[in-house]
Amino acid sequence: MWGKILSYIPEWKVFMQGFIVFFIPYIIFKLFNGIVSKQKTHEDEMKEINDQTNQKVELEHQKSSQGSYDHYTGDFNLDVELVKNEIGHNWDVHVREFHIGNTDIRAAIIFLDGLSDKELIDKHILASLMGNVLKKDEQESIYEKGVFLQTFIKNEVLSVSDITEEYDVKQSVGKILLGATALIIDGIPNVLMLGTVKGKSRNFEEPVSEALVRGPRLGFTETLSDNTALLRQHGENSDLSIINFQVGKRTKKELVIAYIQEIADPNLIEEVKKRIQSITIDDVAESGYVEQLIEDNYLSPFTQVQNTERPDRVFAALMEGRVAILLDGTPFALIVPVTFSMLLQSPEDYYERWLPSTLIRLLRYLAAAITLFAPSLYISFVSFHQGLIPTKLALSMMGTREGVPFPAIIEALIMEVAIEILREAGLRLPKPIGPTMGIVGGLVIGEAAVQAGIVSPIMVIVVALTAISSFAIPQYNAGISLRMLRFVAMFFAALFGLYGVILFFLLLCSHLVKLKSFGIPYVSPTVPYRASDWKDFMVRMPLMMMKRRPKMLHTKDSSRQD
Amino acid sequence: MMMNSQDKITPSQAVVILVNYILATGILTLPRTSVEKVKTPDVWISVFLGGIIAIIASLIIVKLSQKFPEKTFYQYSQDIVGKWIGCFLSLLIIVYFFTISAFEVRIMAEVTSLFLLEGTPTWAIILPFMWIGLYLISSGINGIARLFEIIFPITFVLFLLVAFLSLGIFEIDNLRPVLGLGVMPVLKGVKTATLAFLGPEIMLLLVAFMKKSEKTKAVKVVLVGLTIPLIFYVITVVMVIGALSVKGVVTRTWPTLELMRSFEIPGLIFERFESFLLVIWIMQIFATFTITYFAAALGLAQLFKKNIQPFIFGLLPLIYIISMTPKNINDLFKFGNMIGNTALFLFGVLPIILLIILRLKGGKT
Repeated sequence: MWGKILSYIPEWKVFMQGFIVFFIPYIIFKLFNGIVSKQKTHEDEMKEINDQTNQKVELEHQKSSQGSYDHYTGDFNLDVELVKNEIGHNWDVHVREFHIGNTDIRAAIIFLDGLSDKELIDKHILASLMGNVLKKDEQESIYEKGVFLQTFIKNEVLSVSDITEEYDVKQSVGKILLGATALIIDGIPNVLMLGTVKGKSRNFEEPVSEALVRGPRLGFTETLSDNTALLRQHGENSDLSIINFQVGKRTKKELVIAYIQEIADPNLIEEVKKRIQSITIDDVAESGYVEQLIEDNYLSPFTQVQNTERPDRVFAALMEGRVAILLDGTPFALIVPVTFSMLLQSPEDYYERWLPSTLIRLLRYLAAAITLFAPSLYISFVSFHQGLIPTKLALSMMGTREGVPFPAIIEALIMEVAIEILREAGLRLPKPIGPTMGIVGGLVIGEAAVQAGIVSPIMVIVVALTAISSFAIPQYNAGISLRMLRFVAMFFAALFGLYGVILFFLLLCSHLVKLKSFGIPYVSPTVPYRASDWKDFMVRMPLMMMKRRPKMLHTKDSSRQD
Repeated sequence: MMMNSQDKITPSQAVVILVNYILATGILTLPRTSVEKVKTPDVWISVFLGGIIAIIASLIIVKLSQKFPEKTFYQYSQDIVGKWIGCFLSLLIIVYFFTISAFEVRIMAEVTSLFLLEGTPTWAIILPFMWIGLYLISSGINGIARLFEIIFPITFVLFLLVAFLSLGIFEIDNLRPVLGLGVMPVLKGVKTATLAFLGPEIMLLLVAFMKKSEKTKAVKVVLVGLTIPLIFYVITVVMVIGALSVKGVVTRTWPTLELMRSFEIPGLIFERFESFLLVIWIMQIFATFTITYFAAALGLAQLFKKNIQPFIFGLLPLIYIISMTPKNINDLFKFGNMIGNTALFLFGVLPIILLIILRLKGGKT
């Protein structure tokens, strides 16, 4: 009896392996937790330090305001000096002093060369101020009443639409630096800020990164006001809310979030606002910064915020109840929350008729699957399970591999890495040289590699198919994540064959089901099963049938049409 | 473990969990184990009866769980029979859960090393499998449910595909005569067939995870969740016996896989389809492994009223060592039978006793 039981006690090796099975994931878990928690405490410390410094700054600010001047005084020389002290050392700040027409009242305009509209300043501001402003007999009475003079100039002299009065030196200086013109008049204790901003912007062009056959040929530009205007222009809609924030500690930038008041989930809007306000970086250079600072899981290979250059895409997302984030200085708007299926959809799906759109969508899912699994399946079939493929195919595959000196994984890695390098090189090259690269790289190297016997022709086919499939994915960064994961799949396949590919699939799914984008499960609407959302998932049903907004977004108004 | 308010599953998710849990080893072995007992082609009737018995047993389990809608078995067993016996019963069930997950892992390793990875050591097959399970489990019942929902349609489609492709070598004569030797042989196979339906015991825990307004649907969940595997099993048994005949089935360890190997359809890209079956089967084993692993970890966490994380890690070596204990495949099958017999008591008899105790208690107060 005892002997029988004893014989079932495994060897010490098994206990050792049992320890390993526990130890390795435990270490990894601790490591990741360590990173995350360290970062959190770091953030907390930073916040405390920030709070302290903020208080200090405020204190100093109060102190300094008691000593020096914070507001305009009405004394012409002193006021000009105040502004010059702040920004006078800059090469592009211009101060032009003059006398108001027919009087000896001194005045000055201060403007930034380059950002302000010189023509407007010359023709409408200087000309009207220096011309015959006052009749001889009116001079005396008006000169005595400074305030009256200001309203007079505002109301009867300056033909500029945007005029505000500013008392605070700091604020007026900030506006000057953005292109406004400050008008200082002797005897008046404030300045007039004239809206002469002429931002540099380029023309609207077709978005390069998201070309369509059918659909508006209009993309965002680098100017925020142009971009919001594009959204407004989409159609009359009083519900479209555009709320602004300032991001960047040192270089302040405008950022707006756009959503449809009557549709978007209030919780989602709050969450987006909260995350944007938590950005404490000194300069937000591009919307990619915002994306990385507000995403849910920075360890994930998947992009959790969608970026787009297309106003129509943004607007379609808004109508589904999503929130858009636009940053000044970049044509890329961000859309949250994102689900995996969105990355395989294109606006064109909705502009074309439903049958072709559905087929194209299915094709994209197939392309995504090929991108992920084709090389790994090839490796596993060639190096482990020749028996599972048809005999004739197996024979021809083995025949072409005969002279190849490497195992399948090395062969695949050589070609895959080569094609990634080709892609990267082609991206950076000037346009005329791009096609040459393609010919040299794709044709010459591929052909030569096969003839030299380094890789087998079937491998070249697999790699080419994979590369082309990855470019069929409409979202550029989604394609990158899949290509990245493809290498992981290849290593799994090299170790465990088909079993490894299944493991990789399970691992990938385990990760995907954990992932959330702004509270929405990343894999929805795949799971949990929501049949009503499937009308716009792998297939695109006729528009008449898509009467509801996606349920997963918890919209306030769920119906799209009656 | 505190139950998060977000840790709620929909009825359809409960169904999918149930189906994925039940479908496991049975797909590959049920035709052989049941034919060994029945010895006539009427196995499909036994499977049918086994399914119905399983449905009845699981209805009792659901009734019991619905008495305590917000609690899992680990919590309410102490309410019924007192702290110590409750703890003991919970421990028994926890042991059952992680033993079965160890069993599934080992079976998976055996089949994989036989059909896919000849020569790869067992530990190398098991280790990554368990780690991925660990990664999934750490996301809680919601993540598990979602993953199951992803693999369920794949299983469904691929299974039907391979099942109907094997129609080519199906011969109806192999299934005749129906009830040629009377009813007795059929009844002999019922117990074995019932064991293939292990899985409804998860309802002891799942009811607590369902939304309040949808708890009443638990009965429906069980009915649907057991009917689907019942159909799967009947199709499997009918197809396998129809193609290989009763004599052919008994001599093969993994008759379903042999069936897939025994036909080729030229012209399609794949001429042989056992890889498809293995793919879905490994996924199903993964599902069974993770849900039992999770159930055991959850039980320990609720028993000791601690966070689930340390228990998830702590169970890993235990499951591994148990899975490596059986020395060979015959040991493994004996081990499986042992688990099955325990389950018959734990989930066939125990819920009835608990319900009766509850009734008596209720009568008194």
